[in-house]
Amino acid sequence: MVKRFLILLVLVFFVIMLLPLVSDIQPQTELNPLAKKYVKDGPDELGSANLVTSVIVTYRGLDTLGEVAVLFIATAGVGFMLRRRKGSKTNPQKKRESSEILQTGTALLTPLIFLFGIYIFLHGHLTPGGGFQGGVVIASAILLSMLSFPQSEINHKILNAIESLSGVLYLVIGILGIYLAAGFLDNRILPLGDFGRLFSAGAIPVIYSLIGLKVGSELVGILDSMQRSDS
Amino acid sequence: MVNPLYLFIIALGTGFLLSLIDKLYRSVSLILFYATLTAMLGIAGQWLVEIMRGMEAVVIYTAGFQAPYSINLRLGMEEAVFVFLANLVGLLSAIYLFNKFRHSKVNAMVLFLMMILGINGLIMTRDMFNLFVFMEITSIATYALIGINRNTESLSAGFKYIIAGGIASSFFLIGTIYLYRLTGTLNIDSMIASKELIAGNAGFIALFLALSAIVIELKPFPANGWALDVYQAVDSGVVAVIATASSAAMFFVIYKLMPLLNITMLDLLAGIGGITFVFSNLVGLKQKNAKRLLGYSSIAQMGLVLTALSLVMKGSCGIPPKNLLIIVVGGLFLNHFLAKAGLFWLAGLFKEQDTDKWSVIRRNPLLLFIFGSFIFALVGLPPFPGFWAKWELILYLAKSGQHFWIFTILLGSFLEAIYLIRWLISVVKDTVEQEVVLSFQKILPPVLFMIGLYNAGFLMIINYYSFNPLFFAPLMVAAFFFGIDWLPTKFKGIFTIAVIGAFAYHVVPQLDGIYQIFAVLFLGGGLIQLIATLQASGKRTGFYPFVIMMFLSLGILLKSETTLQFFYAWELMTVSSFLLILRGGKARNHSLLYILFSLAGAYFILTGFAYAFAAAGDINILSITNITAYSSVIYTFFLVGFLIKTGALGLHIWLPGSYAESEDDVSPLISSILSKAGIFGMMLVAGIFGKSLFGKIEISAALGWLGAITALIGTLMAIFQEDIKKLLAYSSMGQLGYMVLSVAMLSHLGWISALYMSFNHLFFKALLFIAIAGVISRTGTRNMCEMGGLIKRMPYSFISVLIAIIALSGVPPLSGFGSKWLLYTAGIERGWYLQTAVAFFASTIAFLYCYRLIHTIFLGQPKPKFKEIKEASLWYLIPQYILIMAIMAISMFPNLIIEPLAAAVNNYFSTTIDWNGYTVISSLGYWNGNAVMYVTMGVFALPLIILILTQRRPQLVKQFNIVFAAERPDRPETTHVANNFFAPYQKALGFLAYPYATRFWSAVSEWTQTVASLFRQIYTGNGQTYALHIILYVVVLYFISGGR
Amino acid sequence: MTLVSIIGFVLIIVGLWGMLTQNNIIKIIIGFSIIDTGIHLLIVSIGYIKGKTAPIIDSVLLKTDAVNQVVDPIPSALVLTAIVIGLAVTALMLVYAVNLYQRKQSLDINDFEELKW
Repeated sequence: MVKRFLILLVLVFFVIMLLPLVSDIQPQTELNPLAKKYVKDGPDELGSANLVTSVIVTYRGLDTLGEVAVLFIATAGVGFMLRRRKGSKTNPQKKRESSEILQTGTALLTPLIFLFGIYIFLHGHLTPGGGFQGGVVIASAILLSMLSFPQSEINHKILNAIESLSGVLYLVIGILGIYLAAGFLDNRILPLGDFGRLFSAGAIPVIYSLIGLKVGSELVGILDSMQRSDS
Repeated sequence: MVNPLYLFIIALGTGFLLSLIDKLYRSVSLILFYATLTAMLGIAGQWLVEIMRGMEAVVIYTAGFQAPYSINLRLGMEEAVFVFLANLVGLLSAIYLFNKFRHSKVNAMVLFLMMILGINGLIMTRDMFNLFVFMEITSIATYALIGINRNTESLSAGFKYIIAGGIASSFFLIGTIYLYRLTGTLNIDSMIASKELIAGNAGFIALFLALSAIVIELKPFPANGWALDVYQAVDSGVVAVIATASSAAMFFVIYKLMPLLNITMLDLLAGIGGITFVFSNLVGLKQKNAKRLLGYSSIAQMGLVLTALSLVMKGSCGIPPKNLLIIVVGGLFLNHFLAKAGLFWLAGLFKEQDTDKWSVIRRNPLLLFIFGSFIFALVGLPPFPGFWAKWELILYLAKSGQHFWIFTILLGSFLEAIYLIRWLISVVKDTVEQEVVLSFQKILPPVLFMIGLYNAGFLMIINYYSFNPLFFAPLMVAAFFFGIDWLPTKFKGIFTIAVIGAFAYHVVPQLDGIYQIFAVLFLGGGLIQLIATLQASGKRTGFYPFVIMMFLSLGILLKSETTLQFFYAWELMTVSSFLLILRGGKARNHSLLYILFSLAGAYFILTGFAYAFAAAGDINILSITNITAYSSVIYTFFLVGFLIKTGALGLHIWLPGSYAESEDDVSPLISSILSKAGIFGMMLVAGIFGKSLFGKIEISAALGWLGAITALIGTLMAIFQEDIKKLLAYSSMGQLGYMVLSVAMLSHLGWISALYMSFNHLFFKALLFIAIAGVISRTGTRNMCEMGGLIKRMPYSFISVLIAIIALSGVPPLSGFGSKWLLYTAGIERGWYLQTAVAFFASTIAFLYCYRLIHTIFLGQPKPKFKEIKEASLWYLIPQYILIMAIMAISMFPNLIIEPLAAAVNNYFSTTIDWNGYTVISSLGYWNGNAVMYVTMGVFALPLIILILTQRRPQLVKQFNIVFAAERPDRPETTHVANNFFAPYQKALGFLAYPYATRFWSAVSEWTQTVASLFRQIYTGNGQTYALHIILYVVVLYFISGGR
Repeated sequence: MTLVSIIGFVLIIVGLWGMLTQNNIIKIIIGFSIIDTGIHLLIVSIGYIKGKTAPIIDSVLLKTDAVNQVVDPIPSALVLTAIVIGLAVTALMLVYAVNLYQRKQSLDINDFEELKW
């Protein structure tokens, strides 16, 4: 009880400390100069209709690369720390076969979810969405099939290859930016195309597709490690 | 030049590919992994070289836009150094972990690469949010790598780490987003440019939150329990990176943000660092687990670096002098970085992590050398970078008047020295068997870092201090002697004597005045005494390197032209003598006391020099002359420092043990030569302060009294000793008291007397110690009551001791009479009657122990077991008879020595003595050595002749014709007349010899230990409590800062 | 000062409370996730401008007029990164929870105090 009171006290002081952040800061009414520049020049410079995407993929591309790295590290870390259950096939009694409705539904839905995911990352420069969102959607399709077909094995070679190669390709595109355009991760190595079309915004759709594949395969990797861990 | 972005690209690319390749061949993935780390190091190294050559700092933009529109990186001098070091420690740790990587999942390699990548990013990026991303990359990779050892300890430590890291990164994110809101940018340089936008309350909090997150990552006391667990539990190879490279990166982030901070925050950072430094070291005192101990030390050191940086920044309004920044912050950082990584790597060699179970190191000279170097580097001894850094830092603090910080930093350093040196001693002295698996890849990294440490130190000397090549001599020659340490001892001994002789031949003529006098005393005295070391047989590994280091550093002490050179030589002398004392069989605790008192003394001297620098404006020793402000305070600092070396009363408790427990042929060196360094120091500063001090009677008077009382108590303590070497040690203490007294007189005659006594003491004390060493070598005991009647068996040693005690006691005709005559004359002339009386009393009771030396050892009953004993080895006798000749010479012809002494002292005081042939004339009388000699000889010869003439039939008395009563005592030794010889006097004078000082110092020590135990109670081991600590810490910090 | 940012702060405090008072490791992790969510809300609220729309140019929102019509795109970009990072940390925390549970068959944080002092 004393401890809880102490914690409460600490948090109360913490709140008092944070108060000026709430009280002294008024809501914005206008974009700051940096954002203005992105909004005003972004569409012409980078050709992406979704300005958030142009910030994510190009202006702050290094962050995004880092973000991909973080997810990659998490996958590696999860795989590293979870021991594989030995011979999951030898004790199948633990897992019940899922119902037919689930199985049929999954079989129907999985391709659609896949397609949706691909749509999301391909149109990242035009609509809300992008590689991360698309990747997560794709991973959710796999999660669904993992849940409904617990016995099924994921082809690790393919998964691994997709993950590695999409990552490496992303880097290669980044490097091409140094030599063909103005800097690392510059999307203008490809023509900007017609504004608002699928094939526009230079390398952004390509990058987002690679990110989508990478994120999708990484998340699947995490799910797979967790599902098959020995606990 | 390779674009620094490739550091990221190749690390990531390899990371992405590794698992794919690993599916094919493990060996290929291993090669790729190491090749990548090597390439990263290569890129970093290439930039470092270019920038060192004078290339301008480069800014690397991404995405083809200038900052602030895109994220940019910067690679300047500081970044290049940090990036290089991070990649270096990365590669070496990876090599160290080779076996782990070969056998565990490929993910381990991936995670390791990512950790290094994150560290690189943290250092180079100039974008606030990007900083967050790299922070997370580093952290998450580290979290996962902690699982490389899958034991419960490391897992729970890892979880605590995640909680702490999670809270920290949340704070950072909140801070960053509000900084963006207020400044409209995420670019650090743009933020700095629009600093006024965050001057408000909200801005302060935003910045404070972001900063506190990084501070937490630097593990500030007391919000660092989780970090200690990590240091203790996680694999050494990984911890080496966490403790050095990761901390370095976080530290660098603070450095980057520094221009944003206002004075309040700089103060706050300095305080955080200072508290961490002192308290981590305090709590470290109680720690027995080696890796956790290193953890405490790491945290403390980073605290020190943070404090140093904040203070330097604060004092110079954000644009510190480049050299100051490099030497102080760079030096401290590099010192910690290299030594700590090395020690963590060493820790990985052992299964048992108790600090007293590392003694296996002792059997491997290389390991011992590495270990010792790291420890001394952390303690801040020359030539390591930490030494120069601490020197500059303290000088800077003194100059900018930050007195409290001087105290804090020296206190923390001292606490750290205690446990580090205690550990070193334990390694050298304890004998616990433990398996240690040595392999090339585990030894290579620490060896390289040790070489790096030495190089860094020497580079600092060469770059920033134009030292005369002579000043490298102690270390270089010692290193050379380590190289030939496999040769037999006789050869090395003769070689050592030859080298010191050559050194003396080179140095002595270059000096003048008291410098030359002391050079003759140190080096000449040393040459004679070193002959005695030739008696040893075998190899005597690790002896001569330290002997020669000690003598050469004494030599350069005299050659010092700047206070820095003096301090450098002083510290070298301290460390070499410590290592010599440590060699003694039972010297364990005594050597610890010795080094601790010496270090404390050195800190006093350092403080004195620092304030002298602040007052005089430069570090030339002679500039001290011009000081008018605070001269008495500065003088007092010096005096305390030097008095510790001379073992003045109250500061003496290290002395008897260290003198007595050293090896028998080391004791004379330490007591008769090394102690004079303190006298030299006192005369040096007193002489330089010169006239400005003569008005300050009270200091001199206090010093005089201290000297007199030291003489009295030292003598008294000597009387009651059973151990012969302890007796001689206390006797030295008393003798040094006389010298302090006469130095304090600050008069011509007083100083002549001090110098004269220095020589006299050198002669007779060396003579005594060497003679006694010979006796001990034959009898195998140091207890006087076990000896007796040795006069027949060891007549030459008897003569030596006889001459020595005559010279000691101050009776005519030998030189001791001269020294006492000079002392009393000087005292009376100065008007210090009471002090002189005390000295006189002391010198009278000195007869008691002198008598005992002769009586108990050489006269009386010989013990049956010593009936067939032989005279001491010739190697002992040669130096003795050289010394006897010296005593005879200065006794017969006092002007041989007094004339040069007087000439030297003339530089400081106008002369008050006169000469008439061999007669010294003072205002109170005269002394003619020749005449005294003849008269005394007459006084003895006359009765002898009368006795021979009157006693017709002299009978030779055999030693055993004594009749025993028919009684057999239970403890025969108690019936021996020599046992508890002076019990009757104890009743009269014993209260004076009560060990008040020892009691006082043990109370201090116990109290410190208690406080340390009290403070470490906060480390409950509970992850949740640690989380609370962190939040509490941040809240308290905020309210201390008071907002804004 | 917007409602969203206040909610964000409330979530942060709630998360901290959970983290500090709950002994169950899973609940601590949930507390951490709540803090994360709060921060994400804060980030979004920072970029929001009342009455303006998402920064995506289409047939309704024209390039030329966008500056006056859209909210700040930068926080939206940042929050994506923050979410992904939060996810990664949470995943690792959970893995730690699994590992710790395997050692001691317990998820009570008080059971993991081997190291202290």
